[in-house]
Amino acid sequence: MSLAFDDYGRPYIILRDQGQKKRMKGLEAYKSNILAAKAVANTLQSSLGPKGMDKMLVSPDGDVSVTNDGATIVEKMEIQHPTAKLLVELSQSQDAEIGDGTTGVVVLAGKLLEQALTLLDKGIHPLKISDGFDRACDVAIKHLESIAEEIDIQANDHEALIQAACTALGSKVVSKRKRELGKIAVTAVLDVADLKRKDVNLDLIKIQTKTGGSVEDTRLISGILIDKDMSHPQMQKEVKDAKICLLTCPFEPPKPKTKHNINISSAEDYKKLYQQEQQYFVEMVKLVKDSGANIALCQWGFDDEANHLLLQNDLPAVRWVSGTDVELIAMATGARIIPRFQEITPEKLGKAGCIKEVQFGTSNERMLVIENCQCTKAVTILIRGGSQMIVDEAKRSIHDAICVIRNLIKDNRIVYGGGSAELACALQVLQYADEVSSVEQYAVRSFADALEGIPCCLADNCGLNPITSVAQAKSRQLTEKNPRIGIDCMELGTSDMKEQKIYETLSSKKQQIQLATQVVKMILKIDDVIAPDDY
Amino acid sequence: MSQFLQPTILLLREGTDTSQGRAQIVSNINAVQAVADVVKSTLGPRGMDKMIQTGPKVTISNDGATILNLLEVVHPAARVLVDIAKSQDDEVGDGTTSTTLLAAELLKEAKPFIEEGIHPQIVIQGYRKALELALEKLEGFSINISRDAPEEKRDTLLKCAQTALNSKLLANTKQFFSELVVSAVEKLDPNILDRDLIGIKNVTGGSVTDSFLVDGVAFKKTFSYAGFEQQPKRFENPKICLLNLELELKSEKENAEIRIEKPEEYQQIVDAEWALIYEKLDIIVKAGAQIVLSKLPIGDLATQYFADRNIFCAGRVPQEDLLRVQKATGGQIQTTVNGLNPETFGTCGLFEEVQVGAERYNLFKNCPQSRTATIVLRGGAEQFIQEAERSLNDAIMIVRRCFKANKIVAGGGAIELELSRYLRHYARSVTGKTQYIVNSFAKALEVIPRTIAENAGLNSIEIMNKLRQRHAQGGEEGRWYGVDINGASGVCDTHSSFVWEPSLVKRNALCSATEAACAILSIDETVKNPKSDQDTKMKPRGQPGRPPMGMRR
Repeated sequence: MSLAFDDYGRPYIILRDQGQKKRMKGLEAYKSNILAAKAVANTLQSSLGPKGMDKMLVSPDGDVSVTNDGATIVEKMEIQHPTAKLLVELSQSQDAEIGDGTTGVVVLAGKLLEQALTLLDKGIHPLKISDGFDRACDVAIKHLESIAEEIDIQANDHEALIQAACTALGSKVVSKRKRELGKIAVTAVLDVADLKRKDVNLDLIKIQTKTGGSVEDTRLISGILIDKDMSHPQMQKEVKDAKICLLTCPFEPPKPKTKHNINISSAEDYKKLYQQEQQYFVEMVKLVKDSGANIALCQWGFDDEANHLLLQNDLPAVRWVSGTDVELIAMATGARIIPRFQEITPEKLGKAGCIKEVQFGTSNERMLVIENCQCTKAVTILIRGGSQMIVDEAKRSIHDAICVIRNLIKDNRIVYGGGSAELACALQVLQYADEVSSVEQYAVRSFADALEGIPCCLADNCGLNPITSVAQAKSRQLTEKNPRIGIDCMELGTSDMKEQKIYETLSSKKQQIQLATQVVKMILKIDDVIAPDDY
Repeated sequence: MSQFLQPTILLLREGTDTSQGRAQIVSNINAVQAVADVVKSTLGPRGMDKMIQTGPKVTISNDGATILNLLEVVHPAARVLVDIAKSQDDEVGDGTTSTTLLAAELLKEAKPFIEEGIHPQIVIQGYRKALELALEKLEGFSINISRDAPEEKRDTLLKCAQTALNSKLLANTKQFFSELVVSAVEKLDPNILDRDLIGIKNVTGGSVTDSFLVDGVAFKKTFSYAGFEQQPKRFENPKICLLNLELELKSEKENAEIRIEKPEEYQQIVDAEWALIYEKLDIIVKAGAQIVLSKLPIGDLATQYFADRNIFCAGRVPQEDLLRVQKATGGQIQTTVNGLNPETFGTCGLFEEVQVGAERYNLFKNCPQSRTATIVLRGGAEQFIQEAERSLNDAIMIVRRCFKANKIVAGGGAIELELSRYLRHYARSVTGKTQYIVNSFAKALEVIPRTIAENAGLNSIEIMNKLRQRHAQGGEEGRWYGVDINGASGVCDTHSSFVWEPSLVKRNALCSATEAACAILSIDETVKNPKSDQDTKMKPRGQPGRPPMGMRR
């Protein structure tokens, strides 16, 4: 910030470190903010749609991730600029609420800002612009609701859900296998869904990844999969009708929490101590055995002696099971978590149809599958893939698909994708624009232009001529009065998205438009930026 | 020659900055202007926001007090402005920007007088006199809202809340939020209206209109250990036990020393530790608690113990939330479980854990003891929600004030113009210098409508002329004419278009602005000591034996 001088030529220092602060005001501030935000949106633009490209991101530690998911890209870009950060949060907020459409929301915000910039150049007050956007947003949302269609999610073996999942997966690296993965996601969600309450607890779906194999090997396990093996290689590999003892204490001699030392003065004492230790182990194993348990899962480690003893007593056991897994297993099998050996009772044991150790490929890695649990139906999706990067991206993609399905179960209204919904809204907003008598008219019209930006972008990413294809779709929507005409990205020969079966949830589209408008309004309201100079 | 050399008298430590006299007053006034300029553009329904980056944190705000606070003003005179904005914020909660602007404008008007040589004390006296008259008149102009008809009263409160929200980011959803705010305040005990009993919780995600009001207390699910999911998540009329106690298996004393001789005794020590924690848990269970909340951690052992007995527990509950639960449910926070009796338990109509966005929330509804409310705010970005929270805070304060004092005036600069008109009229009846000064005070008041008009992109000169004319001719009818940002003419009767503010806000703003202006005017010397740890070597020293330039007169 430049120094101010008083009438007598002395500079005065009003703010702390005034010389090192930078201040931007008015038009300069708007433009700088908009340009920064637009830069983020432009980065994401090429990831939109079924033929969107991926980004490779290298973290400061050298970890490489390749992704197509908007929220992940902006998160890993580690953006510094304060306004650009708003877009990052925008994307994350869409991720938290809906789970899908994280790229679309940022691109839309970018298009809106682009339009706002031209309006600012015309000399329209920024708040008039944001008022206009707000009104246009309301119109668009209303229109979206009117063109939305209710689908029967149960019909035809949940075909609609699978299609919606396929749409979500279509833009990802796994798109080749979208049908299979879509089915897996649908089955997983339906397994845990409470259809009466229209609620899906996503915590019950565990997504486990394992490199090796190919994406086709991805499968659904109706049970829990934990990345652990039996504590001793010679233990039984499969337990039928398992009675599970879930422990949160180690197979070790108990230790008081108070700090302690043991002083041993004679060999006899040492022997005694050793014997007592042995005694502890025998007793522990006995207690577990007596309760009728035929497998023990423990959150902590085992002493080698204890491990050996367990094997001798024919009691398979697993150690170092993570806290969240313990909880999940407890929920699924109806087990009670037991904090010490003295408290083991038969009632506290959980039941499962089958627990087995499975091995993958030629690698020596094993995992434990717990199936047919007695209580809830927790499920696990095991994702396989050639490399860690693919597996990670597949995990994110499946997460998106699962979110879409959950949203459809909550609210079974859909709109059609391929930019058709945006085009339909744009047309409606354009029509409304002519009814606005004040300056906001321009802003409303620009909003429509911004909405058109989405199909434009889609077409561009697919290698089509954006202007021709959008113009065609637009005119067909108007002449045929069919809001389902979009961009034929996959070149299937039809632009009717209903025939192409590109489904998107209404809630996701609505949220995209609302959130983008909200953030744009916020950016437009800032007329003064005060920041450290290096910003 | 020696008779010309004055002996050097060093009164102050080297490096001390002194300035005095008229120049000092003018310099202070200029500094105040510079600060006020920063917040100027946030005033009114078309006010803009400021984005301030302090370290990694970015704040976007429209609230005068917040902005001034973040600016880190170090100029001693300009700091006065920050202080009055803060005091307005504490006292009334809203109107911080107008207070700041008014103070700066009063000083700006005073500047020519000072430069022309009028003694500052005369200006101060004139301002005080004008303030007195203005306050008297303000009282006379304010409109009483009948307390009797509850619907009418509610309507007034809604209007006031909407006026407060007008300039904020939430302006487009002000109907929705004013409803929320008024409902929240109505939930409180009307005699006390404790602000702390309204909690605001932020959850990112969703649209702003997804925000909702909880009739009771709500807080985010705390960190939980394995076993938590097995606890019941819904109770009707539960007994709630509030603790400030760690329920974990831990060493009782850090440096205790116990000597044992035989290995058998070892087990006893272990058992004793377990017994300690089990005893505590047992007392709680026996007392019949169904929900256990603690400020300190509740460990995995306790979590599982409670889960086995169908008790819900949450550890590490934030202090303020626990206090609100205490007030709402009528329970008492215990620091020990010894002598725990069911009378210290609180209760509420319904407890449940629900999913809000990506977070899980614990809700305590229908609390019998004290009436509380929690607003759960949703929105796209973190900064957005934070600004929304500040705006709601303003609105809550205004509604609270309105609830107590039921006098309102019309906003949009109408009341300022009316006071200004009155003071101008009065000024003509006095003789002496005071006439000019009261006139200046009147002129300074016009800064509010002028800035509102400027910020809205209207032609402020034209609008001011229209307004002055209306006020001068209108009498009773013209009294409430203020700036209209939507209409074509630019002016309207803000009273009939429901831009209402509690008169208390204006009263406080006038008082503190005048006080601040007077305080700054009465300063004629600043002595600024160098920082004690500052390295004096850094500064080039004056030649030895010579007094610093400024000291030689």
